[in-house]
Amino acid sequence: MIDTSTIEGIIRILFVGIIITAAYIISTRNLLSVVSVYAVQSLTLVFIALALYSLEGSLVLLAIAIITFFSKVLIIPYFITTIQERIRIKRDIEFHFLNPTTSLLISMVLMLVIYMVLSRIMQGTPARESLFFFGAVLGISLMLMGMMVTFSRKRVITKALGFLSMENGVLLFGLFVTELPFIIEFLIIIDLIILVLLTTILSVGIDSTLEDYHQRLHRFHLWEEPGEDS
Amino acid sequence: MNVDFILYIAINTLVVLAIAPLFVSMIKKVKAWTQGRSGPSVFQTYASLRKLLTKEVIYSPSSSRIMRITPLITIASILVAALFVPLIFVPEPVGGIGNIILFLYLLALARFFMALAGLDAGSSFGGMGSSREMSISAIIEPTTIIVFAALAFVFKTLNIFDMVSRMAPGLPAAPTLILISISLFIILIVETSRIPIDNPETHLELTMIHEGMILEQSGRNLALMELAAAVKLTVLMGLLINLIVPLGLATSLTLIGILIAVILFVIKGSILAGIIAIFESSMAKKRFFQLPSLFAMAFFFSTLIIIIEVFS
Repeated sequence: MIDTSTIEGIIRILFVGIIITAAYIISTRNLLSVVSVYAVQSLTLVFIALALYSLEGSLVLLAIAIITFFSKVLIIPYFITTIQERIRIKRDIEFHFLNPTTSLLISMVLMLVIYMVLSRIMQGTPARESLFFFGAVLGISLMLMGMMVTFSRKRVITKALGFLSMENGVLLFGLFVTELPFIIEFLIIIDLIILVLLTTILSVGIDSTLEDYHQRLHRFHLWEEPGEDS
Repeated sequence: MNVDFILYIAINTLVVLAIAPLFVSMIKKVKAWTQGRSGPSVFQTYASLRKLLTKEVIYSPSSSRIMRITPLITIASILVAALFVPLIFVPEPVGGIGNIILFLYLLALARFFMALAGLDAGSSFGGMGSSREMSISAIIEPTTIIVFAALAFVFKTLNIFDMVSRMAPGLPAAPTLILISISLFIILIVETSRIPIDNPETHLELTMIHEGMILEQSGRNLALMELAAAVKLTVLMGLLINLIVPLGLATSLTLIGILIAVILFVIKGSILAGIIAIFESSMAKKRFFQLPSLFAMAFFFSTLIIIIEVFS
C-alpha cells in the first residue's frame, strides 16, 4: 500500500497538470490541439479519481474514473476530432469581448477571488486545511474558466469545448467536496455525450429549415450517402 | 572574500565560457535533426568564434564611442551576471553576489548597451532591432519581476546561492517547482531571443530583433557579442537546471566533486538544449503583437505560485 502523503503529493502534481491544461485551453488558437489538451485534462481527472480511490477506497470513485475515461478521454474527443476533420476548421482566431491574454489575466483574478471566498466559507471546518480545499478552489475556477471560453469564442466547436472543460470543473469539485450519487454522475456524462453530438451537428444548421439543413450537411460533407462521392 | 570564493570565480567563469558555445551548437544540431538535416558539428560555434576573433573590426564612419565600448560592456556585465548563478560549485555567498535583483539589472545593463549600439551605427535595421528589443523588454519586465518574486517567495530568500544549494529557509514542493520551471522556461526563451519571439538564425530584415542590433558589429567585437549571447543562454539554462534538479552540484571544493558536477551539468544542459530545440521546432515565430499572450502565460503561473504561497 502506498503512503498517504505520497498520494497527496501525486494529487498536487495532477492539480498543476489541470491548471496548465486549463491555461492552454483558454489561450490557444489552434483548434486541433485544444481537443487533445481537453483529452489530457480529462485523463488527469481520471488519475485524480484513481488516486482518491486508493486513498479512500470508495467504489464510486473507481466507477467515476472508468466512465470518465471512456466518455471524456476516448469517445467525446474522437467525435469532435472527426467532426473537425470534416468541417476543415483548423484555427479559432475570433474572439468576443476578451482576447486570450485578457482571459488569462481575468482567470487569475477569478482564482484569487474564489480562494478568498471559499476560505471564508470553510473557515473553522476541518476541510479548510487539506487537499480537499484546494481541489474545491480548482474545481470552481476550472468551471468559471470554461464558462469564459464559452462566451469569449465565436466558433461553436470551441464553445462546446469550453462547456466540456466547465463540466470537468464540476466533476473535480464533486470529487473533492460533495459525493454525488453515482447515478447522477452517470446521467451527467450521458447528457454530455448527447449534448456534444447535438451541438456539433446542429451548429452547422441551427438557423435553417430542415430541407435547407439537409443540403448544408451535404455541402460541408458531414453526411455522405453510401456510394456517393464527395 | 576567502580562497574558496576566488576559486569559485575562476572555475565558474571558465566553465561558462567553455560550455556556452557547446550548448548553442547543440540546439542548432537538434533543430537540424528535426528538419531532417544532419546539421553542423557540435563544435562549430567554437570554430566560428575563433575565426571571428582573428578578423579585423570595421566601424561605420557615423558611429561613436558607444559602438566601441558596447561589446566590452556587454560581455563584462554578462560574465559578472554569470557569477551569480553557480553552475557546478556553490560557495558561501560574499557581498551582493547572488542577489537576484542585481542579477536582473546586470542583464538589463547589457541589453541597454546593445540597444544603444544598434542605434549608434545609423543603420535602419539596427534602429528597428533596438526599438523592438526595447518594446519587448518593456512588456516582459513585469513578468520577469513576478517570476523572480515568485522564486523569492517560494525559497524565502533573495540569494540564488541559497536557492540552489537548498540552504534556503523555505523549500518548494514538487508542484510549485513544475510551475516555476514553466515560467522560467518562457523567460529563458524571451531573454535569449529564441523562436516564438525572434529567430536567431535569420537575417531577414523585417523580422530580426537581436540580430538586427548586432548587424553592424564585426570581427572580434561580433565574437564578443555572440559569446555574450551564448553565455547568457547558458546562465539562464543553468539557473533553471540548478533550481529544478540541483543533483550533483558540488558544495565542497574537491577535484572529483567538481569533475562529476561538470559532467552532470553538461548532461543536464544537453537535455535542456534538446528540449529548447524541440520546442522551437514545434512552433512558428509569433507575430509581434501576439507576444504578450506568451508572457501572460508565465505571468499567470508565477502569480499562481505567489497566491498559493501567500494564502496557504
